[in-house]
Amino acid sequence: MSESNDFRQGLGIAFRLGTEMTVATLLGAGMGYGADHFFGTKPWGIVAGVIFGGAAGMLNVYRAAQAMTEELASAEENEKEEQDQNNTPDKDEKS
Amino acid sequence: MDSPLHHFELHPIIHLSLGGLDISINKAIIAMWIGLALVFGLFMVASGKGRLLIPGKLQSVLEIAMEFIQGMVDEFIGKEEGKKYFSFVASLFFFILTCNLIGLIPGSYTITSQIAVTGAFAVGIFLMTLVIGFSRHGGHFLSILVPPGIPKVMIPIMIPIEIISMLARPLSLAVRLFANMTAGHTVLAVLFGLAMTAPVWIGWMPFGFTVIINGLEVAIAFIQAYIFTTLTCVYIGDVIRLH
Repeated sequence: MSESNDFRQGLGIAFRLGTEMTVATLLGAGMGYGADHFFGTKPWGIVAGVIFGGAAGMLNVYRAAQAMTEELASAEENEKEEQDQNNTPDKDEKS
Repeated sequence: MDSPLHHFELHPIIHLSLGGLDISINKAIIAMWIGLALVFGLFMVASGKGRLLIPGKLQSVLEIAMEFIQGMVDEFIGKEEGKKYFSFVASLFFFILTCNLIGLIPGSYTITSQIAVTGAFAVGIFLMTLVIGFSRHGGHFLSILVPPGIPKVMIPIMIPIEIISMLARPLSLAVRLFANMTAGHTVLAVLFGLAMTAPVWIGWMPFGFTVIINGLEVAIAFIQAYIFTTLTCVYIGDVIRLH
């Protein structure tokens, strides 16, 4: 992976995670508020909505972060393999 | 002194209506047309001489940009699957980027600072992912709402959470682009207002900041266009792979 590739991925993640959680919580709250309005279940809809929305936001961020770490790990493995491939011929020559 | 949000207001230039629907032409629509014409014209000029084996300046720039998008599509959707969606993703990227950059010219209009525009993009992409998902996996597509390997007791709790997290995708896509553009232009307007009202001996300071922030806004225009298209690729890739 080239350096610029890492850089743009990092920026993408930085701008992504922040809004992801806020928006999911707000959406859950909005849906709860809507449910309250239509079914007359004030305040319980919005309570459940905020909790579920917050959970959804956490889940989204967790998944994005997990995908990020997996990518990082695979990139490191690739680098190691490349290094191994580079190293082995040298050793053979020496022996 | 105008409010810093004044330049986001839209007033019809030519009044038009179609069956009670207001389709008046305003600044935003003209900016959008200019954006479309610029993207189209740029690629027509670049490919007008035919695709040369040894590319000229314009062709090499566009080729690098296209390869960059190709890499993104390959990474998130897959090499074989991505071919179908490449043209869509590339047009989306260039259109958003052009509209963001047009907005930085003083006196013009940033159409991506209207949530109606970014929302239309995001809802369109969301519906597209739903159509792709259902046409590829049929009813089995609904299993995207149940993450693999969770205990049965958790399913009633997980389904609403997954529905909210699905619906949050288009919303966060729309809000991110709209908020970044609106915030940037508001900051510019506030700083410029300071520069115009303050006496010259202190007014040079906010004016300097407007120059710096304008440079930052150019970077943000690129980054936001990139993030919007990356996330489009991620969402399309998610419904194709299904977990």
